[in-house]
Amino acid sequence: MGQHKWAEQAPDETFFRIQAPDGTLLGQPPDLDDATLLRMYRTLVLTRAYETHTIRMQRRGELSVTAQSTYEEAVGLGAAAALRDGDWCFPSYRQFAAHLYWGVPMDRTLAILRGGAPETVAEHLPLDTPPGVTFTPYGVILGTNVLNAAGSAMADKLNGRDIVTLAFTGEGSTSEGDFHDALNFAAVFKAPLVVVVHNNQWAISTPAHRQHAAPTFAHKALAHGLPGERVDGNDVLAMYQKTREAVDRARAGEGPTLIEAVTYRVVDHNTSDSAEVYRDQALAEHWKQFDPRPRFEAYLADRGLYSDTLRQQYEAECLAEVQAAAARALPLPRSDAMTMFDSQLFGDPGWHLRLQQRELAAELNDANPYTAIDPETLE
Amino acid sequence: MNAPGIDPVTDTTDLNLVQAVNTALRDELARDPAVRVMGYDIGPIGGVFRATEGLYDTFGGERVIDTPLSENGLIGAAVGMAMRGERPVVEIQFLGFLYNAFGQFVCLMSNVRERSGGQLSVPMTIRTPFGGGIKPLQFHSESTESYLIHTPGVRVVCPSTPAEAKGLLAASIRCDDPVVFLEHSRLYRAFREPVPTAPYALPLDKARVVREGREVTVLAWGAMVHVAQQAIDDMAVDAELIDLRVLAPLDVKTILDSVRRTGRCVIVHEARRTLGLGAELSALVTEHVFDCLKAPVRRVTAFDVQFPENQTEDYYLPDARRVRHGIESVLQYRF
Repeated sequence: MGQHKWAEQAPDETFFRIQAPDGTLLGQPPDLDDATLLRMYRTLVLTRAYETHTIRMQRRGELSVTAQSTYEEAVGLGAAAALRDGDWCFPSYRQFAAHLYWGVPMDRTLAILRGGAPETVAEHLPLDTPPGVTFTPYGVILGTNVLNAAGSAMADKLNGRDIVTLAFTGEGSTSEGDFHDALNFAAVFKAPLVVVVHNNQWAISTPAHRQHAAPTFAHKALAHGLPGERVDGNDVLAMYQKTREAVDRARAGEGPTLIEAVTYRVVDHNTSDSAEVYRDQALAEHWKQFDPRPRFEAYLADRGLYSDTLRQQYEAECLAEVQAAAARALPLPRSDAMTMFDSQLFGDPGWHLRLQQRELAAELNDANPYTAIDPETLE
Repeated sequence: MNAPGIDPVTDTTDLNLVQAVNTALRDELARDPAVRVMGYDIGPIGGVFRATEGLYDTFGGERVIDTPLSENGLIGAAVGMAMRGERPVVEIQFLGFLYNAFGQFVCLMSNVRERSGGQLSVPMTIRTPFGGGIKPLQFHSESTESYLIHTPGVRVVCPSTPAEAKGLLAASIRCDDPVVFLEHSRLYRAFREPVPTAPYALPLDKARVVREGREVTVLAWGAMVHVAQQAIDDMAVDAELIDLRVLAPLDVKTILDSVRRTGRCVIVHEARRTLGLGAELSALVTEHVFDCLKAPVRRVTAFDVQFPENQTEDYYLPDARRVRHGIESVLQYRF
């Protein structure tokens, strides 16, 4: 382990905020009905229960690498709540709250994280009701998804469809060309796209101040000719409000918006990471006080919606839901080895793949694939 | 003309290859509203080779979309559009410019369908001029199809004549898989031939036997089909010439059946030799029809160097003489 740790710079707090970290209202809260507020709150509780459980499962060897958004849930939650049925979302791997708000089933996500082929998961855990918002599989190379999201929004614009595409990426991937291609294409074609840069100050071990020299990540919008907003990413209401404004602009044909959500990665990058290797963990401890959950609870309390009983009820329900999802995901049979050949090409996959499929089948049958198959029998 | 799949027709038009491409684009734009031709310099100017000439006037800026100058932006945006039901046909100005978009090509365009378990698909086509012989500047003459073929989940198509180009491009656009369609820039205006006037699609899984023969099988694609034909004519050898047409997935059966009969195989490509498609073809022949061979497989290729400057490129590209030497070497071989 090296001796050097990165120095950090505390993020500039000149951003849009509706609630102070202690819950005090600083501005006009968005016009949200009680049912929506409670759905958002329940999603927050569910996300935390889900992530706590997945870390435990990963440590037990039941899941592959997984990421957490704990203390950062407001970014995905507030933004996703601004969408409506029919919209599309191109998420990153840290937007579980967005998935859960729209009812992406946890059992399927867990089965995928166990390394199951999507075909196996779909076969054993069929989707009864597709989520109102369509989520693409998250791309592990962030930034690439933002460009595909721009294309998705261009398709809706060209067809006159009243659909908005929301894309999430990290502050690290704003250094990728794909991110700039996405903003440029979306702006030139006035595509109904909202891009949220989830700025949690760390791209694995690279701090934000080593990522770029611009004053803020929202400034990236300026050169591409679209509005750039900077929002307190730990303020659910602020995230909802600014994303909602951006979604409304997109629906009105006014083009894309970039939103920098300022938060802090209190947790490790993922289950394969150890943040103490490269940073002083004191700041991570410091940021725990900006937990979005008590802040949102304070607002719900102001509205007369919150009580300890409600919290306990949600916590119990959510834990049970997560456990039930894990119980459905765990017993899935291992994917048949032959599924690796699925979804390659439509129709005939060609001579090479036909031969190689038979080779694998022979191996699975304990035969010698190089003597068991006569290539002349391959039509 | 002996291209299978084209019914004998009386109604034909004499077209060169770039006109055939233009005709296929026009037909497909008219046939399917999901088809959108995209690229930079493809609108009012009609493409630097004029492959999209007149399409902007006929179909307008929402079907023939002039975009910002970014190959990566083009491919990535087209992938997103294709995921949402569009059928983009992207022009990359030269194959040597596609490298800027390699991440989107490998990780998204060729990968989205598999990664989504078949829930999403990417029915898009990249058209791009490739190949040497027109003496332009650097990165305008590349024949780096191996980079593409090594990637699973994508079809790679390469026509050698105008009639082939029209039918194979229509098939590529209609195909639900991502396709890279390689148009040899030297062939764009090399010659005209009668091309059926009505729209048609050729199969994407069949190589084309250009001429039958018994002494040696010669495998080629793109402009090299014509170079090989020239060498065969010069030599008066009884060679079987096969135009691969589709480089991925390969029609291996046609190739192996031919080598079984001739016992000799010469592969001609203008790509560099090491890990060019010839390496795979040679391996296929030796793995599967070794006992029929009367001589080792010969690869007639360009050299493992950067594409050279104009004044020396003729010495880099295989010509009829180099092909003749290759054919002679297998005919003269004695075990």
